[in-house]
Amino acid sequence: MDVAYPAGLLVVAIGIVIGFAALVREKDDLHRILLTDLAEVLALVLIALVATDLAEALILPGLVVGISELMAVSEVYIAREGLRAPKEPAFRIEVMESAPGILALILVAYGIFLSGFTGGVVAAAGAVFYFICRGHAEQFELIETVSGYAWAIWIGAFFIFMFLPQYWFFAVMMAGGAILLKVMAKMSLVGTMRGGPDV
Amino acid sequence: MFNLPTTNIGGQELFVLEFGDIVNYFSPYTAVLFVFALLFTALAIVSRPERQVDIAFGGDAYYAKEVDPNLLRFQRFMAIACGLATLGAMVSGDVFNFTLFASMVGITNIGIVAAYRNRHVLNAAFQYGIVAMLATVPLFGGAAIVLASTGTLSMWELFTDGVAVPLIAKAFLVLGVMGEGMAPFYVAKAEITRAQGAPFILMVHVSSLLLFLRVIEIVISM
Repeated sequence: MDVAYPAGLLVVAIGIVIGFAALVREKDDLHRILLTDLAEVLALVLIALVATDLAEALILPGLVVGISELMAVSEVYIAREGLRAPKEPAFRIEVMESAPGILALILVAYGIFLSGFTGGVVAAAGAVFYFICRGHAEQFELIETVSGYAWAIWIGAFFIFMFLPQYWFFAVMMAGGAILLKVMAKMSLVGTMRGGPDV
Repeated sequence: MFNLPTTNIGGQELFVLEFGDIVNYFSPYTAVLFVFALLFTALAIVSRPERQVDIAFGGDAYYAKEVDPNLLRFQRFMAIACGLATLGAMVSGDVFNFTLFASMVGITNIGIVAAYRNRHVLNAAFQYGIVAMLATVPLFGGAAIVLASTGTLSMWELFTDGVAVPLIAKAFLVLGVMGEGMAPFYVAKAEITRAQGAPFILMVHVSSLLLFLRVIEIVISM
């Protein structure tokens, strides 16, 4: 911690300087959105550098805020440019039709095995890949529902921590499973960014 | 049980609401800001700006403006959400919660400004959105540095004399709030204050003003 934290701060500072310099030089608006999102990752890195359990808990709201701001700005960009979704798929890549099922299955299964925050990210990578490749006409509503239930379970686990502390292990399992679903649902929103009828 | 360590800035605490170690509070200062935000949230809820009329200068004529109710509904929702986020930022007793509420104000401000479909306004909203997104870096960065250097995020601990918060963290917090509360300066450039739903634009100004006042209180107390 003593050496790692200042060193990490230095790296982040260099990253922030590079990111902001790139933003000043970049003139194309679409590229500026992408650069801003990269810069926002640095805020998460700053939180992650603290490297305590509390910091880990703070990353999730930071991530959510980042994604929602990115979506809001992207919507503004789409409205401003008057962009419309293409009628046909923009490109055909063979692996995007054959791979998603099995890859997503492996990643989601491994994520469930890991559980908790890390598991959520791994499982989300599978879901993101699946949605990017296969589209998401009906699944989106399901994900919203699952995310809502996961949130309720997560809050329930906190109530167990507060009022029935002797059952802490059960609450840890509940919270771990729920945060897995929650992170996965949040991150799979990224996979829907190609647009679609339900988004 | 809870006594504000510094009473010469915000005054004595009036009311304390405890959620575990996250302790929200009112001091006379934040209570005034809270009431102000509550007033304007109530105004956003009750105002019905659908019938907007422009008087032609120097004559009896007036123009009734065409207003799209759907956009207005969205704008009203965003204004109310912005008011609620401002209320949260006023009472928060936790630095990270404050930064979250501040960035929520930023997001809802994008929504309020972007609800008006005009190329200039959308352009301003886009530029503001980029600034608001970038501002989360110093905002969360400041909170993270506070946590790393003092080991706590609770203002009840941070306001005591024994805890020294580094200057860079305070500067980051102020910088972040400046970015999130930037909207009024872009609005001044856009045509939006004369556009439909102008009463909801008020919320942008109110939230940004209150955020500035609150962050100054926090930074001075730390």
